[in-house]
Amino acid sequence: MTARRIGLAAAVAAAAIASAAPAFAQATQITMWSNWPDEPAKKDWVTTRVKDFEAANKQCSVKLSFIPKADLYTQAKSAVRTGQAPDIFYMEPDQPEFLAGGFLEPLDSYVDLAQYEDWSKPAWTSKGKVYGLPVEAYTVELYYNKDAVKKVGVDVPASFQLTQEQFTDLVKKGVAAGITPVSQGVGDRPFPGGLLLFESLLRKLGTEDYGKLLNGGLSFKDPRVVEVMTWMKGLVDAGAYPKSFSTLKLGESHFYFYNTPGALTFPDPSWFTGRAFAPPEGGGMPANFPLGIMQFPAMDKGACPDCKTLAVAGSFVMYSKSKNKDCAGALLKSMATVENGTKWMEQVSLQTGLKSDAAKINSPRKDYFAELNARNKNVKYFFGTPLLYYRAKCAETYTQVMNNAFPAGLLSVQEAAEKMDSACFKS
Amino acid sequence: MTSISIPSAAEEGAQHAAPSLADPRRASWWVLTVFLTPALAVYVGLTAYPAFRTFYDSFFTIEGLDATFVGLDNYRALMSDETFWVSVRNTFIWSFIAPVLDVVTGLLLALALYAGVPAARFLRVAWFTPVLLSYVVVAILWMWIFNYDWGILNAMLRAVGLGALASSWLGDPNLALGALIVTHAWKWAGFNMVVCLAAIHSLPREVLEASELDNCGWGAKLRYVIVPMLRPTLLNLYILAFIGKMKIFDLVWIMTQGGPLWATETVSTYVYKRAFNWNTFDLGYPSAIASVWFVVVCAAVIILNRLLATRERLEY
Repeated sequence: MTARRIGLAAAVAAAAIASAAPAFAQATQITMWSNWPDEPAKKDWVTTRVKDFEAANKQCSVKLSFIPKADLYTQAKSAVRTGQAPDIFYMEPDQPEFLAGGFLEPLDSYVDLAQYEDWSKPAWTSKGKVYGLPVEAYTVELYYNKDAVKKVGVDVPASFQLTQEQFTDLVKKGVAAGITPVSQGVGDRPFPGGLLLFESLLRKLGTEDYGKLLNGGLSFKDPRVVEVMTWMKGLVDAGAYPKSFSTLKLGESHFYFYNTPGALTFPDPSWFTGRAFAPPEGGGMPANFPLGIMQFPAMDKGACPDCKTLAVAGSFVMYSKSKNKDCAGALLKSMATVENGTKWMEQVSLQTGLKSDAAKINSPRKDYFAELNARNKNVKYFFGTPLLYYRAKCAETYTQVMNNAFPAGLLSVQEAAEKMDSACFKS
Repeated sequence: MTSISIPSAAEEGAQHAAPSLADPRRASWWVLTVFLTPALAVYVGLTAYPAFRTFYDSFFTIEGLDATFVGLDNYRALMSDETFWVSVRNTFIWSFIAPVLDVVTGLLLALALYAGVPAARFLRVAWFTPVLLSYVVVAILWMWIFNYDWGILNAMLRAVGLGALASSWLGDPNLALGALIVTHAWKWAGFNMVVCLAAIHSLPREVLEASELDNCGWGAKLRYVIVPMLRPTLLNLYILAFIGKMKIFDLVWIMTQGGPLWATETVSTYVYKRAFNWNTFDLGYPSAIASVWFVVVCAAVIILNRLLATRERLEY
C-alpha cells in the first residue's frame, strides 16, 4: 500500500514537473542596459517599449536597467571581454571599438531595416551589415533668446542666419549690455566647446573638405580653417563665453541660458529638449521663455552656408555572444517600427533614426517642432560630429584643445592648430 | 581524602593539540594549509595574479579577443608619449610637494588642540570630519567653492575689493593643479592632525616639563623638543601621503578629468583614459604605464625611506 502511494505521488510529481517544464523553458530572460536614467521622457519611452514587448511575447522577459552613459560604457567594456555583457545595450556610433572587437551582432536578420531612415543606416553599417538600432538622432542647432537678442539691438533676418560680421556684432552688443552672448560649458562633456567653431568650419569648407578635416586629410593650418579660427578667437577674446566656461556643466549651461543669469544664444544638439522641456521646477525652461532657433552664422565666402550637422546618438545593439539572441532580436524588432518612431518624436521632442509619421505626431510642443523643421528645410546635411571621426589621441586632443582650451582663450590660433595637426593630421 | 584524576586519552590528545595550534612552528602541514589557503587564495587571486597579468599584458596589443605579442613596443612608445610625461610631472609635483602641506597643516592643527584653543572638542571633530567624507562629496563641495560665478572663494575676493584676483580656479592651467592640491590637503588634514595629536600626547612629560623649567618658550619648545621627537611620526605621515598621491585618481577625475590642457593629468587618470576612453580595447599600453609606475612608486618609497630615515635614536 505504502509503495503504491509513493508510486502515485511520484507519478503526480513527475506529471507536475512535466507540465511545468514548458513554462520554465519559455521564460527566457534577457538583460538590457539603457542610458537616460535622468531623462524621464526617454526613460519612459524605453520602459514602455519593453513592457509592450513582454506583454506580446510571454516567452521572453526583460531585465531592464538604466545606467548613466559613462558608467554604462565602462561596465560594457569589461563585460564584453568576459562574456558577461547584457544581451542588448545602449551604444552610440562614436564607440567603434565594440564593432571592431567583434562584440556586436549584425541586426539584418532580426530587424526590419526598412523601418530605419535612410540617412541613419550608415551610422551603424559596417561591411554591408547593420549593427545598431538608431533610436535617437539630432541636428546641431543654435538656440537663442528672441527677446534678449532684440533687446541688444540685433534683428534676426528672415533667413534666420546672421553673417559672420553680424554675429560678431551680436557678441559685442551682448557683452556691452552685460549679457553673456553664448551660453556654453565643458565641465562634464568632451564636445560642446567645439560646436560653434566646427559648425562654422562646416559652412566655410563645405561637406567634402570638412570631411577631410575630420578624417585627418586637411590641415588645421589651411588658410580657410585659420580664417575661421581667427574669427572665433576674436569672439572668445571679446567675451563670447561665460567666465566659468571650463567648469560649467551641460545641465548648468542650460540653466545659464534660459534662467540665471541668461544668455543670448545656446549652441546645442537638438537633444536640447531632453532638459529644456522638463518641468521648470525640475530645472527646465520657463513656460514663457522666448525660444528661437537660428542657423549658425554664414561664413564669408563660405562653401556651404546651408550645411548642417546631422548625427545618430542613442542606439541599441545586441551582444554577439548573447545566448538569447531570439528574444533579444525580437525585442529590437518590436522597437523598430514607424509607430514607435512617431511616439519617440511625440514624447521626447527629438529626431529619431527610425521612420516616423509626422502627421500623427500630437505634441504640446508643436510650435517648437514647426520651427525646428523650418530650420532644417532645404539644408545640406553633413553626417556626424567631430568625435564620431576622431579617435584615441586625436579625440583626446580635440577634447582638451578645441572643446576646452581654445574657446576658453588659453591658446592662440597657431598653438591650437599645431596641437590638432600633431594629433590628427595624416600628412 | 585526596582524589587523583587520570586524564582520558581524548583529553590527552586535546592537550597535545592545543600547543601545536598555538605555536605555528609545531603545527602540522595539514593545519598550516587549512589556515593559510584562504588568505593565500585571496592574495594570489586578487593581488599577485592581477599584478603579474598587468605586467604580462604590457608586452601585447590586445584588440578584442586577439592578443598580439609586441615585445617592448609599448614601453618604447611610452618613452615618446608627451602626455605620459606631463602626467608624470604633475604626479611628482603633487606627490613631493603636497605631503609637506598635508603634514604641516596636520601638525599645526594638532598643536592648536594641544595648546588648548577655545572649543577644542568641537574643532577636533570639525577638522576631522572631511576625512570621513567620500572623494565625490569633497570634489563637488570644492567645485562649488571654486565656481567662478558664485563660488565662495571668488565671492569673498570680490567682497573685500580683490575682484581682480577672482579666477577660474579649475579652468586655468596655471591654477588647476594647485586648486586640487589644496582640496586634497583639506580632506586629509584631519587625519594628519589626529596622528600628530596622538604622537604629541605620547611624548614624555618629563622632557616637556624640563624644557619649561629651562624657560623654553613655545617656539623653542616646538622647534627643539616637540618636532625632533615627532620626526618619525612626521616622516611616516609624509611617506603615507606620498604613496597616496602617487596613485591619486578619484579627486582629479571628478573635478577636472585631467584638464585643462592636461594641467591636472596624473598617471592614474592617464592609465584610465588609455584603458577605457581611448576608442580601443587594448589593455597592453595602459598595462605598460601601470607596470612602469608600479616600479617608480616602489623605487621612490625605498629611496625616500633611505633618505629620510634617521639612524640616531632619541633617548629620553
